[in-house]
Amino acid sequence: MATLPPSPFDRDRRNRRTLAAMAAVGLSMLGLGFASVPLYRIFCEQTGFGGTTRRAAADVQVQAATGHTMSIRFDSNVQPGMPWQFYPEHRTDTVTIGRKDMAIFIAKNMSDKPVTGTASFNVTPTQAGAYFTKIQCFCFTQQTLKPGEEVRMPVLYYIDPKILQDSDNKDTQQITLSYTFYPVEQDGKPS
Amino acid sequence: MTTITADHHHDHAHDHDHHDADHKPAFFQRWFMSTNHKDIGTLYLIFAIIAGIIGGGISGLMRAELAHPGIQYLHTWAMMMDGPEATLDQAYHLWNVLITAHGLIMVFFMVMPAMIGGFGNWFVPIMIGAPDMAFPRMNNVSFWLLIPAFALLLGSTFVPGGTGNGAGTGWTVYAPLSTSGSAGPAVDMAILSLHIAGASSILGAINFITTILNMRAPGMTLHKMPLFVWSVLVTAFLLLLALPVLAAAITMLLTDRNFGTTFYDAAGGGDPELYQHLFWFFGHPEVYIMILPGFGIVSQIISTFSRKPVFGYLGMAYAMVAIGVVGFVVWAHHMFTTGMSVNVKMYFTAATMVIAVPTGIKIFSWIATIWGGSISFKTPMVWALGFIFLFTVGGVTGVVLANGGVDDVLHDTYYVVAHFHYVLSLGAVFGLFAGFYYWFPKMSGKMYNEFLGQLHFWVFFIGVNLLFFPMHFLGLSGMPRRYPDYPAAFEKWNELASHGYEIMAAGMGIFFINLIWSLAAGKKAEANPWGEGATTLEWTLSSPPPFHQFETLPVIDDTAHH
Amino acid sequence: MNKVKSLVLAGLLALAPSLAMGGHALAQDNAVAAAPATENAAAPAESAANATAPAAEAAPVATVAAPPRMKPTEGIGMPKPGEYTLQEQFTSTGHTARWLHDVMLIPLIFAISIFVLILMLYAMWKFRRSANPIPSKTAHNTMIEVIWTVLPVVILLVVAVPSIGLLADQYKPAPKDAVVVKVTGYQWYWGYEYPDNGIPEFVSNMLPEDKAKANGEPYLLAPDNRLVLPAGRPIKLIITGADVIHAFAVPSLWVKMDAVPGRLNEKSFTIDEPGVYYGQCSELCGARHGFMPIAIEALPPAQFDQWVLSQGGKPAGTAPAATATAPQAAEKTADAAPAADAKI
Repeated sequence: MATLPPSPFDRDRRNRRTLAAMAAVGLSMLGLGFASVPLYRIFCEQTGFGGTTRRAAADVQVQAATGHTMSIRFDSNVQPGMPWQFYPEHRTDTVTIGRKDMAIFIAKNMSDKPVTGTASFNVTPTQAGAYFTKIQCFCFTQQTLKPGEEVRMPVLYYIDPKILQDSDNKDTQQITLSYTFYPVEQDGKPS
Repeated sequence: MTTITADHHHDHAHDHDHHDADHKPAFFQRWFMSTNHKDIGTLYLIFAIIAGIIGGGISGLMRAELAHPGIQYLHTWAMMMDGPEATLDQAYHLWNVLITAHGLIMVFFMVMPAMIGGFGNWFVPIMIGAPDMAFPRMNNVSFWLLIPAFALLLGSTFVPGGTGNGAGTGWTVYAPLSTSGSAGPAVDMAILSLHIAGASSILGAINFITTILNMRAPGMTLHKMPLFVWSVLVTAFLLLLALPVLAAAITMLLTDRNFGTTFYDAAGGGDPELYQHLFWFFGHPEVYIMILPGFGIVSQIISTFSRKPVFGYLGMAYAMVAIGVVGFVVWAHHMFTTGMSVNVKMYFTAATMVIAVPTGIKIFSWIATIWGGSISFKTPMVWALGFIFLFTVGGVTGVVLANGGVDDVLHDTYYVVAHFHYVLSLGAVFGLFAGFYYWFPKMSGKMYNEFLGQLHFWVFFIGVNLLFFPMHFLGLSGMPRRYPDYPAAFEKWNELASHGYEIMAAGMGIFFINLIWSLAAGKKAEANPWGEGATTLEWTLSSPPPFHQFETLPVIDDTAHH
Repeated sequence: MNKVKSLVLAGLLALAPSLAMGGHALAQDNAVAAAPATENAAAPAESAANATAPAAEAAPVATVAAPPRMKPTEGIGMPKPGEYTLQEQFTSTGHTARWLHDVMLIPLIFAISIFVLILMLYAMWKFRRSANPIPSKTAHNTMIEVIWTVLPVVILLVVAVPSIGLLADQYKPAPKDAVVVKVTGYQWYWGYEYPDNGIPEFVSNMLPEDKAKANGEPYLLAPDNRLVLPAGRPIKLIITGADVIHAFAVPSLWVKMDAVPGRLNEKSFTIDEPGVYYGQCSELCGARHGFMPIAIEALPPAQFDQWVLSQGGKPAGTAPAATATAPQAAEKTADAAPAADAKI
């Protein structure tokens, strides 16, 4: 045990070292705060957290689990103020788990100006997010509709057969896929 | 551990030091450019008292409005604030401004400055035998940053913030209500206020960590430090780890509001839930930031007035460390109704319950400290004993709320309001008053009035319990938080709560009378007014301590340990 | 503004074709809905008309009268004056949760609080300075420290078992034939849509004080249009927010779920018996956060079907046109969808 008081000079140097170390800790927490934006997105995509869906390449091979079906519900929203009609062609669908399927959403620009939109999405129940895999989706890119234009927009997806092994999803009979369309200004920023 | 004596070397040196040690700079130099930890502590305490009067006054407005169903005064106040043509919606917005201001002021400008800035500055250096904080000028900056922060927050109530003037987002400032939902500069000002207050606290935290790690007197090992110093050390680390995350979160809020980014806006691929995760990653440690120094203060007082060392010192110190660590991994229990999946909710339920274990260790250790002691019921002691019981009550309702399934009905109701006021308004604030009476003789050199102190305790104790206990009933029967008006069925308990506020306010009146009387006419305090139980270093100094203490460092007597 | 007003009227007429049949036997007080007390009343109707126009077009003209607006029972589905505990529950999770709260948690927290209080009072009396001038110097007792660490752990484990069970129970998803209602939170009202029944979104605004009193309903809890649901049938609410975060909460059904803009949440439950169950928005959403109440009117299943018909919708089991019943062709891929013309 040191019983001699440290000299003021030593102490000042030690203090400055501690200050630097603590400032570094504070700054890294600040960095972590900002880094949480991409980290959170990656975390959601990897785990299906909050009902985030997965994405697969177009040539993905999955084994259909014949005889096991899942009801899929399609839900659509338009942010208030966006002059679009946007709704699924069919409200519900029944799919074989593991088999690729397509759903159509219909969007119509009700205004007299071209409007670009982008969609956010998730599925419920949230624990099904990790198994809902999209191959193609209109939500991957922005969509521009001319005045009065109506388009049919596809989503190509499948339910990962691993869902059948997940005890958290043993009671899941219906998965709801929800989209919300938002307007995008011409410079690419949301209004 | 608490048996610490300053060595005699210091006392010999005292006579010829005396003139220099008490040489004080001129008024402006002393108070506005202060680098003295005791003066800065005093400034923090004065600041906290002023902020407390404002924040407490706002809760008085809220209790007046809520005493009966219907809008009583809100519209009149809105007309006073926003002009005679204020609409009912502006009045409702004013309500949200009041709850926001009350929360932010009490958290950032009352409890934190008083606990850490006030008592921490005053007593951490003395208790570890240091002449001052490690960075005295940075200490001064920390304090003076609070002034513009507070001015920005108060000023925000006079500029547009959406439906009416002021920031009406709640202290949580959730997006998108705080982004697209609140046009006008008020929310920007409130966010900047938090930035500045946060910067102040981070600087303070670094200063405390450096001071405690490097400035301890010879022989003052970490495991001999008084528990109050331990509590400030843990708190400082919590601040250092949590506040930068808040800073990042609200910076992104600011850019979302003003520069078109979409961190929290689903329209651009962001997620409003991310803000909640970031906020509560800060916000949950924040509640421990407010209460841990209270734990430390109570430990000192219980030991002093029982004339016994703290029971299970190491357990007490590491229970605080454990609370701090676990406090970082439970944040999403504030978000149980946001639609998280069942596994996440189960994890946060279980993790939250774990906190009850170190908290229980603390409560039982305090009781074991008084067990077998020789207890004197001086004012600081009754406040500390009140703290232990009321914190227990607040803690057990926390166990109820920790159950994610039960929280589904209690979330965002008055049950939550009751819970966090029991642990903060009755926990942290009781800790503050306990510390204030305990150290008032040391800080001012005058004794407070014992009768008024006891009276203050009993009136305040009855008042706050009448104020906050009925809120449990309101929450259980479903009354949501942040409502300016409520169905008639909730009237009974609301009226009682408002009467409780009146009693509590009377208690505060007694406090201020005591404060003024004691400063003006209090008996001169001895160096150690509490007798043999008071063993920490501040009681070896005169009351008030010399302007510069420990110019020759004290040496901690190792043999006296236990 | 005129256009908006006509939209309001058109929307309301579409919502309740039976309005023309007259009488006060309507489930919903349309007169109130047409003239809400709020100046932005146009917005809800506009959004309603906008979002669901396609479905509304398909709705046939209803010829069935709605069941009469149910009178609430005093003290059921609403707070009782001076109540000091949870509201009576009407769902199975509500019963479980209330059991957990009343039978486990309340006795536990009272026992802990009283135990601490008694220990403190006893110690304060026994060891007061006049009775015990010489303090003991005991500062350690490993045994007792281990006990008061382990015992709380055991107690918490005992609590955790039913608590985790309750969570699993609450998350049990509804079967696929559940009645589905889309709930949307707006500043400051609720919108309800029955996608499977072809009932487009209608909005629910708070009733002004005189109207609520006249209806015999509690002011600040009573909206004009209620969310009508069947009792005894599984229900799935899919919940979202249009502008800021709201929270859909009905205490007597143990339901509270945030309505978050840009994402969907779901909540499943079955209501035990018919009745009116009130709730209030439970996430701060701006000025009129306290003034966007919720009322669920749970009808016997037959009456619910009658109500659906009266709204121009189709009761469950009648193969509503809006729902695709045939499974999609197995080999369908993106190539097989020439109709899809969006840029991917």
